[in-house]
Amino acid sequence: MFITKKHLSRRTLLRGAGAAIALPLLDSMIPARTALAQTAAMPKTRLGGIYIPHGVTMDKWTPAKTGKGFELTEILSPLAPVRDQICVITGLTHAPVAPWAGEDSGGANNHNRAGAVFLSGAHPVKGNRAVCGPSIDQIAAARIGQDTPIPSIELALEQGGLNCDSGNTCAYINTLAWKSATLPLPMEHNPQVAFERLFGLGVTESERAVRRTEASSVLDSVLGQSAKLQGALPASDRRVFTDYLEEVREVERRVVQVDHLMSSGVELPEPPVGVPDNLEEHANLMFDLQVLAWKTEITRISTFMYGRELSNTIFPNSGVRESWHLASHHSNDRKNMDQYAVLNTYHVKLLTSFLSKLRATPDGDGTLLDHAMILYGSSLSDGNQHNFSPLPVLLAGGAAGQLEGGRHLAFKEGTPMSNLLLAILHKVGAPVDSIGDSTGVLEI
Amino acid sequence: MPRVALVSIGVGGIAALAVAVAVYAYQQHRAPSAAEQWAMLDRYCEGCHNDAERAGELALDRLDPSRMHADAAVWEKVIRKLRGGLMPPPGEPRPGAERLEVFVGFLEDSLDTAARAAPNPGVPALRRLNRTEYANAVRDLIELPVDVEALLPGDDSVGGFDNIGSALSISPTLLQAYVSASATLSRLAVGDPSASPTLTTYRAPRDWQSGNHIDGQPLGTRGGYQVRHVFPLDAEYEIRISARSEDDVDLSLDGKRVALLPSKGRNARVAPLVVTAGAHTLGVALIRRHDTEGVDDLFAVHAESSGIASFTVNGPLHATGTGDTPSRRRIFSCFPAGPAEETPCATEILEGLATHAYRRPVAADDPALATLMDFYAAGRAEGSFDAGIQRALARLLVDPEFIFRIEDEPAGLPAGSVYRVSDVDLASRLSFFLWSSIPDDALLAAAAAGELRKPAVLEREVQRMLADPKAEALVTSFAVQWLQLRMVDAVSPENPKFDGNLRTALRKETELFFSSVLSEDRSVTDLLDADYTFVDERLARHYGLPNIRGSRFRRVELPPSSPRRGLLGQGSLLTLTSAPNRTSPVKRGQWVLNNLLGSPAPQPPANVETNLEETAPAGEATTMRERLQQHQANPSCAMCHSLIDPLGFALENFDSIGGWRDTEAGQPVNAHGTFIDGSELDGVAGLRGLLLERRVQFVQALTEKLLTYALGRTLEPYDMPVVRSIVRTAAKDDYRFSALVQGIVASEPMQFRMKLADEQPQQARVD
Repeated sequence: MFITKKHLSRRTLLRGAGAAIALPLLDSMIPARTALAQTAAMPKTRLGGIYIPHGVTMDKWTPAKTGKGFELTEILSPLAPVRDQICVITGLTHAPVAPWAGEDSGGANNHNRAGAVFLSGAHPVKGNRAVCGPSIDQIAAARIGQDTPIPSIELALEQGGLNCDSGNTCAYINTLAWKSATLPLPMEHNPQVAFERLFGLGVTESERAVRRTEASSVLDSVLGQSAKLQGALPASDRRVFTDYLEEVREVERRVVQVDHLMSSGVELPEPPVGVPDNLEEHANLMFDLQVLAWKTEITRISTFMYGRELSNTIFPNSGVRESWHLASHHSNDRKNMDQYAVLNTYHVKLLTSFLSKLRATPDGDGTLLDHAMILYGSSLSDGNQHNFSPLPVLLAGGAAGQLEGGRHLAFKEGTPMSNLLLAILHKVGAPVDSIGDSTGVLEI
Repeated sequence: MPRVALVSIGVGGIAALAVAVAVYAYQQHRAPSAAEQWAMLDRYCEGCHNDAERAGELALDRLDPSRMHADAAVWEKVIRKLRGGLMPPPGEPRPGAERLEVFVGFLEDSLDTAARAAPNPGVPALRRLNRTEYANAVRDLIELPVDVEALLPGDDSVGGFDNIGSALSISPTLLQAYVSASATLSRLAVGDPSASPTLTTYRAPRDWQSGNHIDGQPLGTRGGYQVRHVFPLDAEYEIRISARSEDDVDLSLDGKRVALLPSKGRNARVAPLVVTAGAHTLGVALIRRHDTEGVDDLFAVHAESSGIASFTVNGPLHATGTGDTPSRRRIFSCFPAGPAEETPCATEILEGLATHAYRRPVAADDPALATLMDFYAAGRAEGSFDAGIQRALARLLVDPEFIFRIEDEPAGLPAGSVYRVSDVDLASRLSFFLWSSIPDDALLAAAAAGELRKPAVLEREVQRMLADPKAEALVTSFAVQWLQLRMVDAVSPENPKFDGNLRTALRKETELFFSSVLSEDRSVTDLLDADYTFVDERLARHYGLPNIRGSRFRRVELPPSSPRRGLLGQGSLLTLTSAPNRTSPVKRGQWVLNNLLGSPAPQPPANVETNLEETAPAGEATTMRERLQQHQANPSCAMCHSLIDPLGFALENFDSIGGWRDTEAGQPVNAHGTFIDGSELDGVAGLRGLLLERRVQFVQALTEKLLTYALGRTLEPYDMPVVRSIVRTAAKDDYRFSALVQGIVASEPMQFRMKLADEQPQQARVD
């Protein structure tokens, strides 16, 4: 049972029973002067990473033709309206999904690592402590995210916290986002909680402002006290506590920045109502939140997980009645593979609706889609085999003039996917020398 | 490392003689000598596990038996393989079961003796409260039920538990959530007269079926569900109900009908409903007019199903006051009669709250109290006395002393010293273990008086705590995670007989069952073969148990012949170890090995097609067993699957949702298997018998899980002597649940910790 809360103004209460159903966030948005409107001259790239577990039916994903004349395959077909903003990239591999010697035998165990590798290119080390690698969203958040109030937001359709392979920390399966090799960031599935994390708690902006003032004084006090407390801790605890203090400072910085942004006159829609019953509605709401976040520039970086590896989710509107993981095990039976492609196509359809909303949202001299760079795909190729080459991935958006769409780029099979991750970081203005198992910057 | 003399001699040709002597000695019921024991390795193991072959990267001949302690990790692995029956591999010579037992016992005793000389209690990581502990602590601190899932992000688990320090990371997301939660909860607890209307939606459980009466709902109703809702103020509220039925809707508050809403219309509304502040049980149900059956079909977008989809609480509206709530009674130990009394009263209130929240005595001159008083003063300056307390409470709920489990370390100890934790820290270790929450007054008082470390006092406190309703946390947190019951909420069986009500019932049966072992202090071996279980009508029908009517769960006796005796017959476990459309003997076998026997099978070798079960052509009338025969055809599969599969085969009379079946694919079910040690397993009774024979192994497996949970860290090889000692001691008390708990509480790692060197970072210990 989902238990959710929503603050409502009197006006909304009077609107009637319909309010119990989540309104599409964007429909209720009031066109507003956004922070961006004041800085229209310099559009900044918005970075998105979207994960689908279990791979896809590859022969219905991969276009036969390369370059600009590529055809939209069955799974990619929903993208037709935004084809000019899509780069399908094939031939990549995520070798860190493979087990290290002595860890396990790969195969089905690859599920336990695939999600964590997607944006990090790093190997999730088996053990009771998370050791993976920073993910590109967080590398970008550290370099270009600090000039937005919230460096990044992490979203999911599924709740974390279920059991997972007991030899590893469940972080590997619960999140795509790694602030550092040892700090996984939780992903939020409740759109209302996500809204509150971005914009704060309260019915009105004045209530939110009061909460922010209180939060500032609490955080300030905790910092002052903690510095004293730290000296008295056992040596072994001090390092954890240092990290903690750093995060307290980070949250304090966020509160100040949100306050600053809000005082510039950003207008917000009312928060969404909890977790919708309907999964498609839920997915759309999570996408709407990302549009809202990017539009207001409360953050420019988001990650979103359609499902955890081994997900049992059923998407009723897809027409596929099997649960996701089961459907991916098609046993090389053509009928089952085709059926799985139906599910894959449905997921691309949801993506397309997100991209269309971005395209419909003006941003500076163009649209949000023009200024976005979204990586969509999986760290597994054929879910039935649990292999990780060649991967189904695509890039969407114009990356503020850095990326030409409407192309299929085919690379030599075995090219590290990390080279693409590196290329993305270079294009969003967070260049680093290497990431994961990268060997160079992919030419895209 | 030099080979030790004994083993070298064995290789020199005397081995055969030594073994002969060993066998003779054994037959004469004389304990074999150490030399005879070590000769076992040479005879049965070192043919492969030697320095030249290094099978499994293991060279036993390189180890020094006189320094077993140094290689404890390897020896513990050897013991686990031998106990699990995994070694020697099938087809290789094996000692007899009894001789093997004597040898493993020898290895264990040797390790345990070495460990006693140099105990290592380990170093717990600085650990924050997990989500459950946070919610329970708030409940116990300010009597406020907390919907923690909407407040804090989920915790990652490791080793099957979500209270393991190394996995409880601290992200900015989490800190931000703490700050928001503290503002929300402090206002709810104190009462915020200016609270804006809030809308809370409660959805029906997944796949919920509304044809029958639901336990706790008024008689004469069907379907619906109940929730515990915190009403923030004495005020009017509006309830909106989204129903999919033509029948009238019954709305009840604390079990009493407050509205009967006419049918027709998919939505109903009750307003104004005057409710006093605090937590109340709200129930919605349908008046039973038609015997409508039907599941709210996920796929039936327009189908008329018969349930209540959701209901929503709006409010407070026209509030009249903060009311008299358990939270306020708990917080306000005094009320100032005039301005002069305000500061002393605030001090008294906050001293009490801080003592509980920080789990230590907080004196009047404590700087922690001064901090809270600053916040009180700021709130008081801007508003009322209550507002001051609320602000201080908000500050307290994000205090590191509340959020973290900080333990004191005596000054001046050299690195590597082992020291006893303070009584106050021990109190917290106890309460988080047994209650997943903070200590209560009595426990804290015993600790503060320095009494808790006295064994008699400690034992009495543990018994008291086990008898407290809060010990239910051992069911809802420990047992649920040990048995992986959360997965029951996530499964999607493709079976028309399965619905949300059965899902709930399956989980409830196992929770009630474990709870009975705990509250009646039974032997934990009853978990394997108790002569009773708990069912309602729904579950009884599923199990084919006659004459159970109604939605109330009750205890039923099970005859010796019943397949439902013990955990192995419970639908929860049988369902979560199945695929959506069929049983999975492999999953079931692994589940038994992992959770009941504590000897997980190794991972399949690299580059092996493990999709065997799925590769059988769909629709072909083959049984699962026939498909799994492929495992036997391939030697690299057979090695482990001859261990795993028979355990699962024995459960083949249970279908994928735990119902009984005599046939599969038109053929009689064959629930027979031959276990790796040669014993024949016939059906669930056979498997139950096998586990009862190996009861020590079962108890040890449970103890390992319970100790992991108690310590909040994954176990290391140096913990195994402790585990064995707990099991041995508990054996004298027939393995009663409390005997295991007392053993854990009395153990070194529970009462001591080791000081690390200043520079030494906490390493991830990879086994």
